Amino acid sequence: MNVLCTTVGLIAIYLYVSFVSLVWDGLDRRLVARMQRRVGPPLLQPFYDFLKLVSKESIIPRDSNKMFEASPILALAASITLLAYTPIGFGPILATKGDVLVFIYLLALIAFIRVIGAVSSGSPYAQIGAQREVIMLASREAPMMLGLFAILWRLAKLDVERPFSLETLYQHNIWEIGTPLTIVGSLVLLIVFVFWLASEIEVGYFNIPEAETEVAEGPMAEYSGRHLALFKLSNSLKEYASASLVVAMFFPWGLSQYLGISGIEAMLVDLVFHTIKVFMILFVSMSLFRAITGRLRVTQAVNLFWSRILSASIIGAILLVIDILGVIG
Amino acid sequence: MNSRIEYWVKIPIGPIHPALEEPEKFIITLDGERIIHVDIKLGYNLRGLEWIAMRRNYIQLLYLVERICGICSFSHNHTYTRAVEEMAGIEVPERAEYIRAIIGELERIHSHLLNLGVVGHAIGYDTVLHLSWLARERVMDILEAIGGNRVNYAMNTIGGVRRDIEEKHKRMILEMIRYYREEVMPKVEEIFLYDPTVEARLRDAGVIPKRIALEYSAQGPTARGSGIKKDVRYNEQLGVYPELGIRPITPKEFTGVIKGDVFDRMVVRVGELWQSMEIIEKAFDQMPEDKIKTFSKDNVALAKLKKAEGAGIGRYEAPRGETIHYVRANPGTDGPAKWKAREPTFPNLFAVARALVGEQLADVPVAIASIDPCLSCTDRVAIIDSKTGKKKVLTEKDLLKASIEKTKEINPNIKAKPEAVGGICGGVRL
Repeated sequence: MNVLCTTVGLIAIYLYVSFVSLVWDGLDRRLVARMQRRVGPPLLQPFYDFLKLVSKESIIPRDSNKMFEASPILALAASITLLAYTPIGFGPILATKGDVLVFIYLLALIAFIRVIGAVSSGSPYAQIGAQREVIMLASREAPMMLGLFAILWRLAKLDVERPFSLETLYQHNIWEIGTPLTIVGSLVLLIVFVFWLASEIEVGYFNIPEAETEVAEGPMAEYSGRHLALFKLSNSLKEYASASLVVAMFFPWGLSQYLGISGIEAMLVDLVFHTIKVFMILFVSMSLFRAITGRLRVTQAVNLFWSRILSASIIGAILLVIDILGVIG
Repeated sequence: MNSRIEYWVKIPIGPIHPALEEPEKFIITLDGERIIHVDIKLGYNLRGLEWIAMRRNYIQLLYLVERICGICSFSHNHTYTRAVEEMAGIEVPERAEYIRAIIGELERIHSHLLNLGVVGHAIGYDTVLHLSWLARERVMDILEAIGGNRVNYAMNTIGGVRRDIEEKHKRMILEMIRYYREEVMPKVEEIFLYDPTVEARLRDAGVIPKRIALEYSAQGPTARGSGIKKDVRYNEQLGVYPELGIRPITPKEFTGVIKGDVFDRMVVRVGELWQSMEIIEKAFDQMPEDKIKTFSKDNVALAKLKKAEGAGIGRYEAPRGETIHYVRANPGTDGPAKWKAREPTFPNLFAVARALVGEQLADVPVAIASIDPCLSCTDRVAIIDSKTGKKKVLTEKDLLKASIEKTKEINPNIKAKPEAVGGICGGVRL
């Protein structure tokens, strides 16, 4: 019975998130268009694009191998699995005592599957895109993990049962500790995570692997038809999931406890409220960032991550550590 | 052990690629992200213009020349007119020269705004593209109001201009200049002189040092960005430009340093936007009341040109650099024996290809966009064996041999034997 509930829940969440993340894509395109003084496409354009791509013939390059066709399916499968471990207004549906590790692992796995698909396509543009993707992945993971674990460790000191579960984020939040050091540390980490999110969804400065004018969409260069549609959907799901992590870490508050409802209705209300918060964080990290910046060279982006963002992350973590150890005061 | 395994990859940029507006091919050899070698293949845009030109008369040729390229339609037209006027010794009324200067500068404004947007797009900064092209609409509207067309305004004719600039046009243009000065230019300067992304991407990218620019004979903003004071309107004291206070713009006036990178080329373009507006205002102040063309009708001009002899060369500083047109008369007929155009993209393209060696792949689109390439102007000759469809590559020696043969055929008395100098270009790939 429990297995059945979880399965139905996961399917429901998958359908909901696919819908919502595609709506966000349309909203993002319209918002950026307005910032650029354009009218922009209709709100439902991503749906039309998706349906059209699905109905189109998919061209398989002569030099490609089996992984070229398998990787879009694997990427979508990994994204759906990722949703089961994503905090969406309440704890992940497959919450375990170490689900944060699974979350990070799956997020990296999607990028790796994209790389495998690109390398298998036999296109030189895709090869370069894949190289860039791996370089970016290696640079962005370190500050993100450091920040995430520093916050979870700080929360673990508040007597939680499962410190390595994303459910913890809904039991306690980092702001309720209230000491100046945690607040400053969390603000620094918030900035780190805004940059991490932008690089995870590859916009603005970090639109390097898929650079349209340089490597002609990089890893996606040879994909077309339904394979491309699957990748697009998986990217949208990943976008939502990674934004959800930032929301759960820094803005976890739900509406249901104030409205005094519980059960399935509370979950629905929290889910909708969570989606609104995800849209807001994506607006800053994606739409705004995309409109006011251009793309960096890959060396500059790596430099930015290892010299600025990693050091910001270290500073944030050190502030939280000082707070725990009580060195000052 | 100093043997190092090298993983070189050859990447074709083009003939069709998102970074390029027109078909051309760059074969780039890469070591990781670093560029080892750049090879250029041209000839994807050949339309046989010179062949068509030999079958037209001088007036019809005006419209053909205008359609070489979409952006410098006025420049080519103007240069061709100057060449024909020099050949036939036709005097142009002063008012016509001022009108030509005004339209030429309006075209420069629209071409430079276009290029600012294209460079923004090349670095993925699409907001710059959309906003600068929005600003460009204003000058396009003015050109449409004057010439009746957004791109091919057909203003020139042999011995003058075809349309006068009236009082209402003058009001519109001055209003446009006010709009650009107050609303557009501060934003353009903010982006291209101070924006961190733009500075990070354009500074030290695609550096063309002064020596390379001289050796490859770079033209226009590409040369001026490297610190060469080269502007035909200034160097040749062309037409009425000396009275309009023309001077070559170098990035030194804005940033104080000359590095010859993409950033400097864009700074030159921003400076020329300011200069063009000043020139238009001065031209309106100094413009005399006069007739606008020497010949009242085209057939009168053709009758005069029928008697013309010799050859003429026209030079003009198009937005992309110096354009040269050569016209040789065919006495007794109303068309030229030979018409040839040389546009600035050809030398600039090789200069930028040389500059790209040692840089990163990410710099390729922006460096190519920064010379504002116009391939439809460039491609005019291709030697193809019609049976096999193979293209020939002519080296310097082959070209020299062909020209010696031709010279002997025309004048057998010439005894000089020039030798190949073996310059850096090595040859011309067709």
